[in-house]
Amino acid sequence: MKDSCSSISQLLERYFDRQATDEERSLVERHLPVCQTCHERLRVLEGLRKAIKAPVDEALKEETFPWVWEKIERGIRLEKKPSWQESFRSWLDLSPLSRKKVWIPAVAIAIVLALVTSPLLFKKTPSYSERSVVEYVESGVYNVMVYESEKAKVTVIWLFEGPQNESPAS
Amino acid sequence: MNDREADQIARCQRGDQDALKEIFDQYHKKVYRIAYGVVRQREDALDVVQEVFIKLFRSIKNFKGKSAFYTYLYRLAMNTAIDHSRKKKKTTFLSLDEEGGFQPADGYEKRPDHIAAQKELEEKVRWAIDQLPQDQKATLIYREIEELSYQEISEAMGCSIGTVMSRLHYGRKKLQDLLKDMVKGRGSE
Repeated sequence: MKDSCSSISQLLERYFDRQATDEERSLVERHLPVCQTCHERLRVLEGLRKAIKAPVDEALKEETFPWVWEKIERGIRLEKKPSWQESFRSWLDLSPLSRKKVWIPAVAIAIVLALVTSPLLFKKTPSYSERSVVEYVESGVYNVMVYESEKAKVTVIWLFEGPQNESPAS
Repeated sequence: MNDREADQIARCQRGDQDALKEIFDQYHKKVYRIAYGVVRQREDALDVVQEVFIKLFRSIKNFKGKSAFYTYLYRLAMNTAIDHSRKKKKTTFLSLDEEGGFQPADGYEKRPDHIAAQKELEEKVRWAIDQLPQDQKATLIYREIEELSYQEISEAMGCSIGTVMSRLHYGRKKLQDLLKDMVKGRGSE
């Protein structure tokens, strides 16, 4: 059976990466000796791998990693203790809630609720708690009532001559 | 994950630097390969290795053991190397000409005798890899340098095997176009 070049070509990269199944591998290996195009493609893939990998292998062969561990130790030592803001930010980053981003609508809802309820919470109601003094003095001539409000610094004095005539004076 | 590695990780999570040293001894060469694959310069690769292990010590508490430890470490190494490379790009000595072709910015063509041919090839590969989108670049480095399987790459990158294959295919295609003359003769070396 002659395998078509196009179907083999789809398997070629998997074969090259050693990720093909046994069956796929034998298909490719039967095809390669009779197909110059696929053979050439394989050579190009190999050339590319060498171009990427060889300098890395070469660099690693000569590398002695001078003082790398010592620098890592020093780096860890020098790392400053994170501030509470950084710790909080890092907690947000680590939190599964943060990863799922569900805290965004939760925070939005909390802000809306705060905006809606704050006018009710801080609404001014008439206060009867202001300190005031009321004194009432009865005498033979006048009945006197004195009202002092501390906050408004107002003093009101009533003089009552009799039940018919009462006039405030301040 | 074997018992020894699980023990090292647990100790490291408790802040034990000796445990970090054991992990460093075991993995620093692999981290260096990934770093060098991205940054393609010795000093930068060493800086990345340092940064990766400092970051690992800080962040290992987040490792819950849901994936293999090496895929967690490789991902940290890849992200750190890509970040480093991105920052470094601002001061790189390579630039593109208007047609998008390769052209060293320091007037290399005027003094070819002073730079070895090997150096030029390496710089050209580095330039070509830099042209790839980050996900294709990372996939190619995992596969070609670290020789991870498709399954391992998909775990390290958090994507499907189909996506890994597609990124490899398009990454290789683009590199082949960019390095056409170079790769033709190297396969049979």
